[in-house]
Amino acid sequence: MGTLDFLLQGLLVAAQPMNLLYALIGVTLGTAVGVLPGIGPALTVALLLPVTYQLDPGGSLIMFAGIYYGGMYGGSTTSILLNTPGESSSIVTALEGNKMARAGRGGPALATAAIGSFVAGLIATLGLAFVAPYIVKLALVFGPREYFALMVLAFVTVSSAFGDSTLRGLTSLFVGLTLASIGIDQLTGQARLSFGVPDLLDGIEVTTLAVAMFAIGETLYIAAQGDKGPDKVEAVRGSVWMNASDWARSWKAWLRGTFIGFPIGAMPAGGAEIGTFLSYATEKRLSKHPEEFGNGAIEGVAGPEAANNASAAGTLVPLLTLGLPTSATAAIMLAGFQQYGLQPGPLLFATNPQLVWGLIASLLIANFMLLVLNLPLVGLWVKLLTIPKPWLYAGILLFATLGTIGANPSVFELGMLLAFGLLGYVMRVFGYPIAPVVVGLILGPLAEQQLRRALSISQGDVTVLFTSPIAAVLLVIAALAFIVPLILRARGRGEVLAQLAASED
Amino acid sequence: MSRGDSPSVETRRPDRAALIIAVVLALIAGVIFWDVSRLTGLAGYSQVGPTTVPYAIACCLIVLAIWTAVEGFRGDFAEREPQQFGPVAWVVGGLAAQMLLLNTLGFSIATGILFAMTARGFGKRQLWLTIPFGIVASFVVWTIFAKVLQLSLPAGPLERLLF
Amino acid sequence: MKHFFLASILAGALALPAYAADYTIIAPANPGGGWDQTARSLQTVMQQEGISGNVQVQNVPGAGGTIGLAQFASQQKGNPNALLVGGYVMVGAILTNNSPVTLKDVTPIARLTGEYEAIVVPAASEIKTMADLVEALKKDPGAVSWGGGSAGGTDHIAVGLIAKAAGVDPTKINYIAYSGGGEALAAILGSQVTAGISGYGEFESQVKAGTLRLLAVTSAERLPGIDAPTLKESGLDVVVENWRMVAAAPGLTDEQKAAVSADIEKLAKSAGWQEVLKTKGWQDTYLAGDAFNEQLAKDVSATEAVLKDIGLVK
Repeated sequence: MGTLDFLLQGLLVAAQPMNLLYALIGVTLGTAVGVLPGIGPALTVALLLPVTYQLDPGGSLIMFAGIYYGGMYGGSTTSILLNTPGESSSIVTALEGNKMARAGRGGPALATAAIGSFVAGLIATLGLAFVAPYIVKLALVFGPREYFALMVLAFVTVSSAFGDSTLRGLTSLFVGLTLASIGIDQLTGQARLSFGVPDLLDGIEVTTLAVAMFAIGETLYIAAQGDKGPDKVEAVRGSVWMNASDWARSWKAWLRGTFIGFPIGAMPAGGAEIGTFLSYATEKRLSKHPEEFGNGAIEGVAGPEAANNASAAGTLVPLLTLGLPTSATAAIMLAGFQQYGLQPGPLLFATNPQLVWGLIASLLIANFMLLVLNLPLVGLWVKLLTIPKPWLYAGILLFATLGTIGANPSVFELGMLLAFGLLGYVMRVFGYPIAPVVVGLILGPLAEQQLRRALSISQGDVTVLFTSPIAAVLLVIAALAFIVPLILRARGRGEVLAQLAASED
Repeated sequence: MSRGDSPSVETRRPDRAALIIAVVLALIAGVIFWDVSRLTGLAGYSQVGPTTVPYAIACCLIVLAIWTAVEGFRGDFAEREPQQFGPVAWVVGGLAAQMLLLNTLGFSIATGILFAMTARGFGKRQLWLTIPFGIVASFVVWTIFAKVLQLSLPAGPLERLLF
Repeated sequence: MKHFFLASILAGALALPAYAADYTIIAPANPGGGWDQTARSLQTVMQQEGISGNVQVQNVPGAGGTIGLAQFASQQKGNPNALLVGGYVMVGAILTNNSPVTLKDVTPIARLTGEYEAIVVPAASEIKTMADLVEALKKDPGAVSWGGGSAGGTDHIAVGLIAKAAGVDPTKINYIAYSGGGEALAAILGSQVTAGISGYGEFESQVKAGTLRLLAVTSAERLPGIDAPTLKESGLDVVVENWRMVAAAPGLTDEQKAAVSADIEKLAKSAGWQEVLKTKGWQDTYLAGDAFNEQLAKDVSATEAVLKDIGLVK
């Protein structure tokens, strides 16, 4: 049988009424748990995997697919409405999405996230079905030096999330990089900046920092406005649905996000966040409305949301083709596959085609279910914003701490949540952007480790960093992304000095 | 470190907050230098060892501290809105209470108190009403996540009484 | 509101029974890793075999398991219903992290399963046998880069032991630490490093597909179904087993300890557990009582010696 026959057969099985019901339960559960700030898809899948044991293989596989995609999807809703990213890959979504929600455009923001996730999930799942073997070859070419070049590119592009002050953006980034240095140095096993506190040896958990700085920092900031703050958020201004201009501005962003997110998700050390950073920066550079970025640009929601779902499917590429679990979520999924007698690896497509195609068909169905589930709910979700502030923020803190307690019930972790919450508040008061802190915490260790691995393998020969063609191309792009805007701005204003002075505050 | 001669210079009414931030950044840099200096190099075959990157970060923090201080002296640091600290204290108190009570009183009671104190910070003053409500809401959440979804959330007297 | 809706769906569709918790198992790692999988498999089998009505798994991640260990030793003291999953990695982590709490502060019950390390090279590599690799290592230790798990972990320790046995200065090995098995495997497949070392299970499907060449395994004798010599056959006197165990709380009475040991023995002998071992590809290395304690003491002193040689412990 050919590829298509297997896929069609899988789809027929997955489309039976009972299986559709399982898919619905799966995406509902996945979304519900994934929505909690601090509980990412890894813990969601780990918690809910036992639920699937009780069904027949077909049914449990499809429920499982639903939980996975639902868990990936859940984070964006709270990001957009409450400025509280459910996990690290939806931090970028909060930047523009929450601004849209505050301007009464929460409906279109949620809709573009849902449809973008669907489009990306669809294309990426088909990519998984048809081009996985080629993508995985590309992913394997990436060694430490190529990753290092990719990180340099990511660092250059995240400056687009800095806001209006270079000084404050850089300060935020370096606060994040400092936090990133805490813990055991992975390459030598030595403890850095942990001051003998065992809880700090593993470093600062990205989700803890993100939940604290966004959810708690935001709550404190709003509380400090007292009665003068924006009294009531207008939940819906204009239509709750996307209008023609929203569609026109979203579709290209969806596609670009998909093509950025999918390959990066497939890379063993890529990760969903980096795809979202690159997508956001790309959209900002290409947008016809750059002035809207920072004030609620729909492309800034559409692109990153598509990228993070595409990378969720991308993660499955090395898992299914090589048996490589490249993330905690993938490692749990590997355990999940074993219960169906599936042993992921290079021989899987040859030895177990029915199950593989059944899984891919299930993912397609789950993706479709998510759209069906989420689009009608958009109207309901935006009503969340009309809940009176005392109840809304009390509820946000309840769920934010629930996520942290559920992931790691330690007093120390809650203490960090409070401390970083206060830091997030103080930074908001003085106009420091929050996202670069989290970006620094994510990218810092990756860049440092890859650089040191590359140099260690070459025994200290620095030229290797530039001699690989892929690394060289990435570094050139990074250099262009850094230099070209400077030249353009300098030309526009007549002289470089004026531009530099202007960028200072 | 670079702040030593600062108090005498008073040109355009320096921004005190900016100077404090600058000092804090410099202090963080100092802590990094102090902590990393006791690591053994152990770079192995790479000339970038475990100490190189932290030192680089610390140097950049010093530059940022100086930059911030300069902006502070010129008085063109960020403008800020006046803050009300009462509500902030309520919310922070709620988080601290939850943290300290979680392991003895269990999830529902500790989180119920957090709920009520947060609501108080946002203007709901009737604690006799919000505390019971918060505890009931947290208990429902606890039941769903701990009992049905098997998430491990600390149990206290209330949870043990009812399950 | 939505959660009430969710609860009713769940309650209706699945009708999960709610028992009082009998055993609580602490997995001192994040979800997804080996210890977490061991803990969750224990949970399933204990409930299945009726050893315990309801078992809860709690993740206390951090620092090679030493955070979970410390918390377990202090908070569960005298609690006969608390179990801790752990393993060889913890032995190394206690030493490298200077952990004040050691395995002496808990009550080790039994070794349950274990895995041997495997040394591989990419299929296209010029290195054909373990002897070739040792020769390259002797010629220029820096030119042989080893890809494996975290610094000071089982993989790193094994490389240190190999170097020492081959007469090469263990501080001169060029070990490249990766965060997870997956990342290291990708680096090996992509020929970024000279050789790879990790648990055999990580490499199994690649070896079978012919994309990796298996040079040797670190067991004492040849493993059934695996076509590779031991290190001993290759002239290196090195045996490394990455075992996993279960421990009980400190301060138990002899009766309580016996009861826990009996439950674990029942579990290890059960059909359900054997089935889990088979599907997960874990070796059955059940060892309990004094024999296990003796083995543990031996491992601790050997590990301390090699970590000093590599320079990770002073």
